[in-house]
Amino acid sequence: MPNYEELHQEAQTRLLELEGGGKPWIRVGSAICCEAAGADETLKAIHAELETRGIEANVNIVGCLGLCYAAPLVDLQKPGGSRVFYGNVTPEKAAELVESCVAGDDLRPDWALAYTGRVTLDGIPRLDDLPVWNKQVRIALRNCGHIDPLDIYQYIAQGGYAALDKAVNRMTPEEVLKEVQDSGLRGRGGAAFPTGTKWGFLARSPGPVKYILCNCEEGDPGAYNDKGILESDPHSLIEGTILAGYATGSSNGVVFIRHGHEGPIHRTERAIEQAYELGLLGDNILGSDFSFHVEVSLTGDSYVAGEETALMESIEGNRAMPRARPPFPAASGVWRLPSNINNIKSLAYVSEIVSRGGEWFAGIGTEGSKGTAILCLSGHIKRPGMYEIPMGLTIRDVLEEVGGGVSPGERIKVLQTGGPLGGVLGDEAFDVRIDFDEMSRASAILGSGGIIVGNETVDVVDLIRVLIAFNQYESCGKCFPCRLGNTHMLEILERIYEHEARPADLQLMERIGNNMRMGSLCGHGQLGYNPVSSALKYFGEDFAAHMEEGRSPTGQSMTPVFTPQRTRSRWTSAQPLELRF
Amino acid sequence: MASAISVVIDGKEVVTQPGKTIIQAAMDSGLYIPYLCYYPGMKPFGACRMCVVEVENARGTPASCTTPVADGMVVHTNTPQIQDLRKGITELIISEHPHGCLTCHRTNIDGADLCGPEDICQRHVSVTDRCVACPKNERCELKDTTIFVGTGLTTPLTYKYRELPVVTQDPFYDMDYNLCIVCGRCVRACEEIRGDSAITFTERSGISLVGPAHGTSLLESGCEFCGSCIDVCPVGALVESPYKWEKAVDTVSTTCPQCPVGCQLKLEVNRRGRVIRAIPDLEAEANRGQACFKGKFGLDFVNSRSRLRNPLIRRNGVLEEASWEEAIALVAEKLGEYKGDSFAAIASYRGTNEESYLVQKFARTVMGTNNVDHSSNLKPELARPLQDALGFQAATNPVWDLDNAGCVLTVSTNVTEEHNVAAVPVKRAVQNGAKLVVIDPREVELTRYATVWVRPRPGTEATLLGGMLRVISDEVLEDQDFIRERCENLDGLKNSLWKFDLSRVEVVTGVPQEDIRNAARTFAGNGPAAILYALDTVPASEREACVNAMVDLALLTGNVGRPHSGLYPLRPGTNDQGSWDVGCVPDLLPGYRPVDDAGARSVLGEAWGSELPSGAGIGVLDAFQAATDGRVKAMMVIGDSASYHSGELGDIMSAAGNLDFLVVQDTFLTGLAQAADVVLPSGTFAEKEGTYTNLERRVQPLRKVLEVRNSNAMPDWWIVCEIAKAMGAQGFDYHCPAHVLDEISRVVPMYAGVSYQRLLAKEPVLQPVTMPAYPLPSQLLPTTGGQNAGVQWPCASADDDGTAILYGDQFAAGMAHFIPLEFREAPAMPTSDDYPLLLLPGRVLHQSDRELDIVLVGQKNRIQSEETLCIHPSDASTLNVADGDMVEVVSARENLFARASLTEQNLPGTVSVTYLFGNLVTQLESSEDPDAMSHVPGLPLTPVRLAKTEA
Repeated sequence: MPNYEELHQEAQTRLLELEGGGKPWIRVGSAICCEAAGADETLKAIHAELETRGIEANVNIVGCLGLCYAAPLVDLQKPGGSRVFYGNVTPEKAAELVESCVAGDDLRPDWALAYTGRVTLDGIPRLDDLPVWNKQVRIALRNCGHIDPLDIYQYIAQGGYAALDKAVNRMTPEEVLKEVQDSGLRGRGGAAFPTGTKWGFLARSPGPVKYILCNCEEGDPGAYNDKGILESDPHSLIEGTILAGYATGSSNGVVFIRHGHEGPIHRTERAIEQAYELGLLGDNILGSDFSFHVEVSLTGDSYVAGEETALMESIEGNRAMPRARPPFPAASGVWRLPSNINNIKSLAYVSEIVSRGGEWFAGIGTEGSKGTAILCLSGHIKRPGMYEIPMGLTIRDVLEEVGGGVSPGERIKVLQTGGPLGGVLGDEAFDVRIDFDEMSRASAILGSGGIIVGNETVDVVDLIRVLIAFNQYESCGKCFPCRLGNTHMLEILERIYEHEARPADLQLMERIGNNMRMGSLCGHGQLGYNPVSSALKYFGEDFAAHMEEGRSPTGQSMTPVFTPQRTRSRWTSAQPLELRF
Repeated sequence: MASAISVVIDGKEVVTQPGKTIIQAAMDSGLYIPYLCYYPGMKPFGACRMCVVEVENARGTPASCTTPVADGMVVHTNTPQIQDLRKGITELIISEHPHGCLTCHRTNIDGADLCGPEDICQRHVSVTDRCVACPKNERCELKDTTIFVGTGLTTPLTYKYRELPVVTQDPFYDMDYNLCIVCGRCVRACEEIRGDSAITFTERSGISLVGPAHGTSLLESGCEFCGSCIDVCPVGALVESPYKWEKAVDTVSTTCPQCPVGCQLKLEVNRRGRVIRAIPDLEAEANRGQACFKGKFGLDFVNSRSRLRNPLIRRNGVLEEASWEEAIALVAEKLGEYKGDSFAAIASYRGTNEESYLVQKFARTVMGTNNVDHSSNLKPELARPLQDALGFQAATNPVWDLDNAGCVLTVSTNVTEEHNVAAVPVKRAVQNGAKLVVIDPREVELTRYATVWVRPRPGTEATLLGGMLRVISDEVLEDQDFIRERCENLDGLKNSLWKFDLSRVEVVTGVPQEDIRNAARTFAGNGPAAILYALDTVPASEREACVNAMVDLALLTGNVGRPHSGLYPLRPGTNDQGSWDVGCVPDLLPGYRPVDDAGARSVLGEAWGSELPSGAGIGVLDAFQAATDGRVKAMMVIGDSASYHSGELGDIMSAAGNLDFLVVQDTFLTGLAQAADVVLPSGTFAEKEGTYTNLERRVQPLRKVLEVRNSNAMPDWWIVCEIAKAMGAQGFDYHCPAHVLDEISRVVPMYAGVSYQRLLAKEPVLQPVTMPAYPLPSQLLPTTGGQNAGVQWPCASADDDGTAILYGDQFAAGMAHFIPLEFREAPAMPTSDDYPLLLLPGRVLHQSDRELDIVLVGQKNRIQSEETLCIHPSDASTLNVADGDMVEVVSARENLFARASLTEQNLPGTVSVTYLFGNLVTQLESSEDPDAMSHVPGLPLTPVRLAKTEA
């Protein structure tokens, strides 16, 4: 079994070969957004062009650099040169790039987005000088967009698995746990529970079989950072998981991914295979006494499967419905064994915390929220993408400086944060700092980090209706307040949207919403009224327009009412339940 | 039991145990918290959120059904906030649950409900029409709960009828999904309690519902039709289809007459005096709220119009109605001519202890013969070795003790059908991680749950068990402390085991050695372990050897006299245990005293005032042969029995024709009754009192649920007494069965402390029911006269609580005795040149490799399937049958067409088919026979021959 030094040496050798082997190095972004923008075709075009010209080059995919507005993203690094990024590279553009930059010497500064590296290039901005980049502090996303997610050596070359080596060979589990506790890391899945405390519960549960579950159910519209990490840097998660296992004395890890997310599933499985091959997973990791095993488990088609107890039911092969607590997962989780559920983002921080110490991490961010926030910006904004910013920036900073604001003449009207169970924010809340507690005081949750931006063309009633439709559709159907409450709330919102509101509808929604909040079994129902309550707080006039004036606040004509499949209105006599007899 | 803790609920201090939930603690102390999805005995679910409470110093409003109690906890169940939340939730529920029952002016919120099916509404609208087709509106938990929490009915929520289908196609069950509130009780009952998972949740969110698992019909989904889901349904979504719209005017608890599990049922009676529903009692120890398709749906024979109304006497070859006086006088006169051994009496397998006792007393004292038996006593060897080795001919432990067994071994028994509820704790144990070893050449339902299934050649079970003992002995897996302290003759056993060389055992049984080792290790390594056996496939010559081996197996592994272990002989008849106890067998007097024991004869003779005959008499196995031979000339037969129809007793009709005089006591004019000289109409179980002793020795009372209607039928005990008295006998002046039981408790030592008074938990005088002030599930509602309690014998005195587990302290003879075993070669099976193969039937629903289709015939679902006949390739080549050929399977009794499937899993010389459980249910449902359920055949091995056909 190789020790870590040997692995690192090997990785460095391979990296040098790539960088200085005399061949140009071409990297193509291939995470979800790049793929959606046609990265596959671009990659094919590059290969074709290289072949036609008989040029030998190192071509590999990388994950998501986060600059999704520029997808598909391609970067070139000529031997000994700096790395130049090009945005929106269509296949035609790709062929031309190969022709002028690789075959020729013209780096096409007109197309280049930025460069990074020691060699200064004129006419192209440095990546670190870009406003989209210079506010960022990339910890969890440190390797995203830089390394090939399918190649473990590229991860190791960046210092990957050094923290694991340090932990299992030179630290006690208690010391690892203490670093995480000192770091002040709070769970990034939405509830923001201190990670160290949570691990402490599991560490005290009796073994020997204990589970670390990594949650990549990520069903929130507008959130793609978990998938982004798995697609771009799966090893940072694997390493974090093993470290969590070491700190808590666990024996097994399960990475739980929603089925159909082929990229994250495939890359995580590949990463696990490679880690096993190199002795970073399995028995006696890196020559220590510690053994740990990781597998991938897929969900069915269910949003609620991301709830921690529903996730455990799903792993066991049952219908994804939340369990009642107590018993809490640390005492009785998956297969009734002690378990601990962590979000992907939380675990992705862990190796850096262990390498650089909890104090270093605690020095970033605000008093109550340490470290960084990984945000996914989308909607009516100039630069949608996945960004990692230190906690404590205001929302306005993020929107205008990182996100680039909106086009001249437009105004940001509404933000939707924290997924469909989070709230909406109006502009009086834009000066709120990005911080778990401050956001929650502003009646919005940071949640998983998705921020959808809407300009003045957005009718908030319509937006809320769509969110509630999502919640209603995704209710697991177990507890009564959520199953029935969401159905009624959607019906009322549809009524309001169609200008057919009844006078008491707002009070009625509030009553249903309160019952859901007090009565529901899990967060899906408990938070289910959030969108409506926050919308009423910031956008009462939109509701008034629909309810009292019978018009849409944006002056647009009504779009047809989107009736989700799973409301009770599906059962009409025209569509009887299909029964085969 | 963990130490008690104390919590305060609504200002009342409640002492409870840790581990209980708040709602359990509250209900135990008589406090009510509204609930809909919670059900006593099921795991916490927490879906309906009706039972939310406030706990001081805790966040939010936790559900009391999922929150465990903690010492010093202070709980408020009725704060204004909680009340409002409950109202809000009921508002949501009734926004899609048809609730005409609540808005009708005839619903009296203060208590008395003026409305129910069959009542005529003051508006001259039939209630059945108006109440939007809810069959449950006078016993609906949702309605009661909604009224209880005081929900305003002017809810601003939009009501919507979901227009879901009403499924009435399945046998016995009607499902109106519009009424379903998706509480999941039915799903959990099926999965958690029954271990079947035949129904499940379907869809999700606003349209989530329940329905058959992976299918569209219960027939297809593995449903056993036990009715458990119906019993727990709080609303009218799942109901029994027979008598669906009938309203009960009275509910009486009694014991189920269908099998020896002795389920306690609450029988609902309607205004016209019909038994309309059976609801298993949740608080009864014998069945813990469970029943099976026989008890739940098979009691309709009580209401049959084809019941006998008057005694019949054969005149000029024709049975004509007569008066009781005439009939009794004729029987007395005729039987007077056949005193002695030319007379035989066969009591009913459904007879009460009192009736069986009276029949044997009548035969022995009045007729002077030991020719007396009960009709289901076809396997008298089943429990006899238990008496010799341990002490009593009975199961050692209670049935629900199996719940926590570490391993269960079943030997040649089809528990799921013949003793259905006894299989429930077995399947639950398996769900909780217990191992299940099935020894059976047939594929029975439990083989689906088996950890190890071994298929010995029929009749070689004893040798197989010997092989398992050898493995345990060789590998030193025995419980040495137990053997040293409590057993003797270990050397005798060990010396006999050397003959059981595994290679020889393999040759005889056809079971690979590794499977034998595996079965033995599983059994010995997962204590406590229990053995259930019926020996259905074991010929009579091998049964005793088989039971001997099982006794040794239990003793060697220390599985006797301890909880969750023991031996369970599964006799077929309802009251077989009781009939044996009271001596209704040809060779034993009451209390298991041999007829050849002169001392016992004189003690009982003195008690009965009569000289008793010696010498074992003729039992049911031989009675009809004796009638054919002329050894027996007159017979008294009480009740019909499956054994008369299965062919096991030979041609009973021609034997009956050979008799000089046959008197039959029965409820219906059965085949045998049609051949009788006198037929005396007897009342059913629902119309009489008495006691049954179930297979776990629990003596339980029958209660008079109904008066006999439109008939002059009388209970069997009365008939026997009248005949005896007409023959001038003394000692038959009983005024009621309780009077007979008093005598039994004097002459049968195990019953010394049993009396009718103590068996009825409350006053035996039927009291009108006082309904509780809050909603309860039907299974918990009080019944007229209260619950029945049972007592497990031996019970020495009125103060003795009875004995749940036998031999806890010591065996009858102090030490248990190992029985040396004899190595037995495969016995001759009843095959012949005409029928050279042995047909092994199986009864399993949902075999994936079978062609199975649910078709609608009329209004009902039926299973249409092509039978598959599994046959060993060597037999197939002899018969020139290829895989997929159509073959005709011919037995002496019936023919069957099937498609051949060649498999080496079958032993050479055997062929096997699978009947579908669901098929059985549809057959029973459509049967013309008023008491079809009691004729459900076992799964006997049948000699057959095969012929290839063109079809």
